[in-house]
Amino acid sequence: MSGNCDNDTNIFAPMLVEIVDAKMVTATEKHFTLKLANGDRFDYQPGQIVEAGRFGYGEIPLGLSSSPTNGNTFDVVVRKIGKVSSALVDLDAGDRMTIRGPYGNGFPVDELKGKDILIVAGGIGLCPVRSMIQYILHHRDAFGKFTLFFGARTPSDLLFEEDLEAWRCTDCMHYLETVDTPDDAWDGNVGVITTLFPKADEIGPDTRVIICGPPVMYKFVIAELDKLGISRSNVFVDLERRMKCGIGKCGHCQINDKYVCLDGPVFRFSEIEALEEAI
Amino acid sequence: MQNHFLSDQDLTPFVEALMSRSPVIAPVAKRTRFVFERLATADELRLDYDTTVLPPKTVFFPTKQDLIHFDNEGFRSCINPEEQVLLGVHPHDIKGIAMSDVFYKDRQVDNNYLANRRATTIVGSSVQNHYKHAFFGSMNADRPLTGHDMFLTKIDGGYVAEVLTDKGAALIELGNFSEATDEQIAAADAANRAANENCPEKLNGTAEAIREKVRAAFDSPVWEELSRDCFSCGSCNIVCPTCYCFDVQDEWNLEGGGKRFRLWDACLTREFSEVAGPGGSENFREDRAERYRHRFMRKATYLNDQLGGPACIGCGRCSGACTADIANPVTVINKILEQS
Repeated sequence: MSGNCDNDTNIFAPMLVEIVDAKMVTATEKHFTLKLANGDRFDYQPGQIVEAGRFGYGEIPLGLSSSPTNGNTFDVVVRKIGKVSSALVDLDAGDRMTIRGPYGNGFPVDELKGKDILIVAGGIGLCPVRSMIQYILHHRDAFGKFTLFFGARTPSDLLFEEDLEAWRCTDCMHYLETVDTPDDAWDGNVGVITTLFPKADEIGPDTRVIICGPPVMYKFVIAELDKLGISRSNVFVDLERRMKCGIGKCGHCQINDKYVCLDGPVFRFSEIEALEEAI
Repeated sequence: MQNHFLSDQDLTPFVEALMSRSPVIAPVAKRTRFVFERLATADELRLDYDTTVLPPKTVFFPTKQDLIHFDNEGFRSCINPEEQVLLGVHPHDIKGIAMSDVFYKDRQVDNNYLANRRATTIVGSSVQNHYKHAFFGSMNADRPLTGHDMFLTKIDGGYVAEVLTDKGAALIELGNFSEATDEQIAAADAANRAANENCPEKLNGTAEAIREKVRAAFDSPVWEELSRDCFSCGSCNIVCPTCYCFDVQDEWNLEGGGKRFRLWDACLTREFSEVAGPGGSENFREDRAERYRHRFMRKATYLNDQLGGPACIGCGRCSGACTADIANPVTVINKILEQS
């Protein structure tokens, strides 16, 4: 049925992708490794989004959760929570899904190079920033001191267990984690993500910061960064909204006059802090 | 620019000639109101209409529009424009279409809209009767008319036809047009000026004042106060010529395939900005006052940079569509202008 020339000019025409690998990583989240069905390389910037879909169910916006330096495959994580995400989570290796994109503005990689980096990720906010974490680790010498804070509700909500295991041991980054509610086996930090600030090595005022997490998290983290003397123009927030079309038309992701899918999802905080609906 | 004249009795043969070439969408009476509809006969045409229930954007951006069809083999695009004539569009509605053109071209080009737009010849027509809530004489009145191909102005005995494009010029040979006299052209100018001046409702501020003062009123209690009776139904969105938001949905058919389509959506509805979350949904505009304000902000200020003025044409459709009678931009904006 494909092959109609209009597919090239229809912005809603998706690309078919093959699922190379798929595994449940928590009770509700599935980690997919994908490649374009036509064999082409999928090029994007860390922090950009795609509209992932399944015919007959629909599309949802997802942050890409692997670095574009990973080769021909790329990762997304889907949380089973609504109609479309449940239909995607039902898919397995060998099945196909669709994507459109990449869309939006990712992290300003060139601006971040040479600087100390702090990434603050809450819950599945880790998924989109993993694209940047991997990018930094793949170009480790290009960046200064690298600190990562990750907070989850419970130990069973910790995503990317293999990554976390590696990050806990590596000298390439300073990794700190916390959970809101521990279980019997947990001997790490307990508390909201801002409780990690006093535990971190010094975070200098010239550090570049990336934040991604649940909506409630941003203002508390930014208050901590203010105390550290970090300029709000050096803080990048990766925002979630209902990015239904991904192309700045459908209106659902508007924050005042911005479209998160086009102008974001990564925003320099100083550029949106005056927008009343941003955080 | 050329001006021609078409007598009253030559209108119907001209419309019949248009209909013999392609479908003609035009205002027709529907009980007590008017709608843009494909003409079945030329004498259905009602160029004396006051306003239509829905704006003419339906011709390019239908309430429900297929985007792709899919089956087990793959998918195909549904972009399949049909040559057509959109006849009898009032000047302010022409401005609304020009604004929609900007939205659909901006940054990411949406050919699902633009292909229909390009396949359509637009013939505008002057306002002969005012809708009771119209205020186009004080909203974007100075904005030049662009995007249409021909414009018909009613004067005594017939219509002055202004030709604006090659597509418009090609229509001249389909009717018994003569060259318009200077008197006829002057009469047409006077008629269009009078239509602007005689709007039943008026805004008390310039576009610049509206932009600045509405934006400055973001934290004003006025939104809470005015939206108290809002049903969050989205009727104001649905009848608006410059609203272009949509939802995208999938649907199966009985043969194992299906379609992905978009349908008009409304930012006044509660679920518009809602996202799924682990502890229940997260709604980025939870309160109806926030949603009500968002619509006015978009119309009055947010889109100014893209459009060079407010995203409102003063048609008054929202004022008439609102069950609770709280959507009238003249009431709302004048109140803000008075208070600031």
